[in-house]
Amino acid sequence: MPDARPRVIAHLDCDAFFATVELLRRPELRGLPVIVAGNGPRSVVTTASYEARAFGVGSAMPAATALRLCPHAVVIPPDHAAYSEASRRVWARVGTHLDRLQRMGIDESYADLTGTPRPVAVLRAAVADVLEATGVQLSVGLGPSRLVAKCCSDVGKPAAFTAMGREEAARRFASAGVRRLPGIGPRSAERLAAMGIHRIGELQAADPDDLARRFGERWGRALHALGWFHDDSPVVTDPGPAKSVSSEVTFDEDITDPAAMEETLGHLSERLEGSVHRGGRRGRTVAIKVRLSDWTTVTRARTLPGPVDDAATIARVARTLLREYAPPLPVRLLGVRLAGFVDEAARAPAPGLPDPAGQMSMPADHPGNMSAM
Amino acid sequence: MRLVCQKDHLAGRLAAVGRAASTKSTVPALANVLIEADENGVVVAATDMELSLRAPLEARVEQPGTVVVPKLAADIVRSMVPGEVTLEHNEGEGVVSLTGGSSSFALNSHQPGEFPALPAEDGSGVVLPADVFLSTADRVVRAASRDDTRPVLTGVLVRLEQDSVTMVATDSYRLAVRQAPLTSGPSQPQQAIVPARALAEAQRAIALAGADQIEVVLSQTSGTFRAGDVVLTTRLIDGQFIDYRQLIPEQFTHDLQLDRGELLAVLGRIAVIAQRNTPVRMALTEGQMTLSVVSEQFGEGHESIPVAFSGEDMEIGFNVEFLRAGVESAEGDTLRLGVISPLRPGLLRGDDDTFRYLLMPIRLNT
Repeated sequence: MPDARPRVIAHLDCDAFFATVELLRRPELRGLPVIVAGNGPRSVVTTASYEARAFGVGSAMPAATALRLCPHAVVIPPDHAAYSEASRRVWARVGTHLDRLQRMGIDESYADLTGTPRPVAVLRAAVADVLEATGVQLSVGLGPSRLVAKCCSDVGKPAAFTAMGREEAARRFASAGVRRLPGIGPRSAERLAAMGIHRIGELQAADPDDLARRFGERWGRALHALGWFHDDSPVVTDPGPAKSVSSEVTFDEDITDPAAMEETLGHLSERLEGSVHRGGRRGRTVAIKVRLSDWTTVTRARTLPGPVDDAATIARVARTLLREYAPPLPVRLLGVRLAGFVDEAARAPAPGLPDPAGQMSMPADHPGNMSAM
Repeated sequence: MRLVCQKDHLAGRLAAVGRAASTKSTVPALANVLIEADENGVVVAATDMELSLRAPLEARVEQPGTVVVPKLAADIVRSMVPGEVTLEHNEGEGVVSLTGGSSSFALNSHQPGEFPALPAEDGSGVVLPADVFLSTADRVVRAASRDDTRPVLTGVLVRLEQDSVTMVATDSYRLAVRQAPLTSGPSQPQQAIVPARALAEAQRAIALAGADQIEVVLSQTSGTFRAGDVVLTTRLIDGQFIDYRQLIPEQFTHDLQLDRGELLAVLGRIAVIAQRNTPVRMALTEGQMTLSVVSEQFGEGHESIPVAFSGEDMEIGFNVEFLRAGVESAEGDTLRLGVISPLRPGLLRGDDDTFRYLLMPIRLNT
């Protein structure tokens, strides 16, 4: 039976997540513009501290550009194992406050608070507790749908706490670009622009039939609904331990150099190692995913005699698979996946428990009053 | 600069002080030991900017000056033949020469100017008998967290009062508190969060100096520990320590008396097959406590000891290493274990209330 109560959905997003984790480890960098980026010639900024953002540095910007904007920035190479671990701590902590949680990548989640009394107070308590326990600041968007919540959490970052209804969101974001809407990527935006639609308000005013003709019946109508912030997609709570773990990257420009591809597989394997290690999981199947410049997507997998969890082995198998496949066209995306986990049930932390294997921890919401004495 | 020193003494001092040198720092000079020789004597020092150690060196100064030598100089000197070692450096040169017996080393060295200024050594503090300091620090340091994401928990709360010293540490899974009496505490209470590593090094400094007391100076941002002629200065951790008294329950449903040695022996045996994160299952039934561990990899083990337990049967899980550390740290032959329910913390106490060890349980599946 469908739940008739008005939906209350929150989007929780960690502010400058990688940079925050780095600053917690290196407090001496606090207050300085910090950029987390690799050091390759094509490396991009994965996060920038708010001090660096003040210079116009943004995520996904080539590191070289960022350094031109902010030449005195401190550049730190990404440490994905540390981010995975910090992410685990943040979401485990959030899980002690909110039970219907859907993880969306390393630094964001949706929470369904439908039927929860005083959802704002619950969320504020969760944000304060996560900050105290992990040092990570969450921004919160609250609305009747995932779509509204997601757009809200961006308003007033860092430490945002924004709530809106659907109509208000449709009004407030009318002047924003269509890319602001999750689901509208560069290609859709380009095609909308060709129709003279740049802003969300213009999308709202567009004729749904025109959109349907242009984008097809389903996607056209969906785009129009998106413009009006209609969204009834559910918050899909954690389905339990994943059957596989993967890591992939889309290149800014398609690449043809096999050495660069192999190097990328190495980085992806390291990132993968970070996320499998926290559950103590080991998998037997290593797979790669290759998307070519014409969007053909190919996967190749190999099952090994025994389970593995180390980046070096995963990378070695991934490189072998790539060599055997020998991409016939420039490559726009590469991914590495580890599956076939052994003793999964025994080792994976149950969702919502504060720590692996049920270890309970002390409440951290006792700020203490000892210094007053 | 030129000085002559006994080999063993120099090797010992370089190694002891070199513990504060950093091998990971981005400032290369921090991986070195500073040697300063002037008319007042010779001082060796090292720092990683968090913690610094300094100690005097007994040496014949033939020409005053300042040099920095790499930390590995300690290993070189230690392996030299017994006798005198000469350390020499000509101002402006990039090498320091070390000669002893027939061996001769020219070590690449940094300019003394690259070495950071050492924290000022100021203020007088509270003098604690070495045994009081050692027995207190020793029992709590291990409970501090190693997780840098919550800096406050990587420290030990040190509180000095007129008649007592209290140290508290927690990694949020367990919490250790020890209080010891003091005869000459400060008139006003003082407290600070001292990095656990600094406390461990302070313990070592006492042993190194052969000191029978240690002076503790707590200022706003730094703490100084003087043991004999060895001086340790550490940055203090900024923040609010957990209000631990609020976490420790005042009453327990069961307050069990146990033979500490016996419990320790049982835990020692069953811990062999327990892996990290494996809970030890403590089943309490009429007159008996049964401890068991099930390891997927190795099998299982259990052992019972008599205990004055009555009431409804109860089962509670603990991390075996955390439990063992608590039992080890308690003093005396008898141990008291207070429990409320399987999901509430347990409290270990020794013969008296001076040591308390609060341990969060592990949820058991059944």
